[in-house]
Order: sequence, then structure tokens, then C-alpha cells
Amino acid sequence: MPGERIEQRLRLRAEQPPAETTLVVRGGRDTPGKLRAHVQRTARAWSLDGQPLLGISVFAVLGEPLDDLLRRRFATFRTIYLPTAGRLAEHGFELLPTAQRPHFTVRLRRADDQELAHLLEALGAAQPNPAYPGSAA
Amino acid sequence: MYQVDITADLNDEDETGFVWTFLDEARDPGQITPGVLVVAGDEEAAAVCQVVDLVPAGDGTIVHLRLLPGLVDEYRALVERALAS
Repeated sequence: MPGERIEQRLRLRAEQPPAETTLVVRGGRDTPGKLRAHVQRTARAWSLDGQPLLGISVFAVLGEPLDDLLRRRFATFRTIYLPTAGRLAEHGFELLPTAQRPHFTVRLRRADDQELAHLLEALGAAQPNPAYPGSAA
Repeated sequence: MYQVDITADLNDEDETGFVWTFLDEARDPGQITPGVLVVAGDEEAAAVCQVVDLVPAGDGTIVHLRLLPGLVDEYRALVERALAS
């Protein structure tokens, strides 16, 4: 039986936004089409202030070294994105402290072709994940 | 390239700490029941997961997935060893 979207406003963690230099990790190799599907999935499940929440998941490097986070959570990804929180902010993307620390949702406003392309640019180049088994890194 | 049992963004987590996706993104939703092992993700990034529970949310049913350690290829090698005569 379908239910209501899960409202995130009161679930947001009460914490300061990550510093501009904080690294943010997203696993995989995204395309505009993949990002659109992920944004739509989030919007099906979650709302913010009563409106569908457009967003994708990332993890900030907070409280543990990057290598530990990659080994703990991203070992199944051959490639990762590793922008800083500042780079995402410069591109106009807000980080919402959703779920359990250090998970965040990168919030989009329209999720149209232009914004999805902008998000892909903000994520930067996908790079080999040193925590992927067999990685040369 | 992987053929997954259920499409998911393996980056996604909710307040439970589990990966989540929607039941209607499964190739065979009838196979998605608590406790079973599935391959989740997409054609490029997939992982073996255990289904934790199914919860109504939004316009469908959310599936929570426990991400298991190791690569899909490692599980395949494990099974091949176990079944080798």
C-alpha cells in the first residue's frame, strides 16, 4: 500500500554545513540520464517542506579519513567523484544533511536538462577509486 | 556489465543507514522479500545485498538493502568453487 512521501525537514541533522574544503564522495559514473533517474527516485520517496525533494546522495569526508570512508562504503564502485563542498556551492547546489552522518543530499531546484548538466559539471571528472579491489592506486 | 535484480543508486541511504530503492524497480518484484540476497545497483556499479524490509512510501514501496562486503565477481567465484565437482 503506497504511503506519504517522507518529509525530510524535521529529519535534517542539526549541524553546521561542511566547510568549503570538505571533500564530498559520490560513487559511480553518472550521466544526465542516470542523474535524472536518481533525482526522480528521491522525489518519489522524500519531500521537503511538503514538496517533492529533488536530489542525489553523496557522503562528506567528516569524522574519518577519506581512505577509510572509501573502503567502508564505496569499495564496489570502480570510479568516484570527489568534488569539494565549496565547488558544489559555487555551482549553486545546497547540501542537505539527510539520513545518517556523513550522508548528504545535493539539492536540485528543477532537475531539467540544464541543471542536470550543471550538476555533472560540478561533480567534476570521475576518477579511479583507490579502494576498488585490484585498483592500481 | 551487470544484470541486476533491482535497480538502485548504491549511494542512497536513509535514516536507517541502509541503501534504499523502490520495489517496482525490481526485475521480478515477487522475488524481493526480507532476507533474500539480490544483486542491486545498475549495469556498471552493482553489489550483493540482503533485503532488510519493505516499507510503503511515496507512490510505492521502498526496499531497504543491506550492502554486503565484496564484489559480485567474488561471489561468483565463491559459488563456482563451492559447486565444483
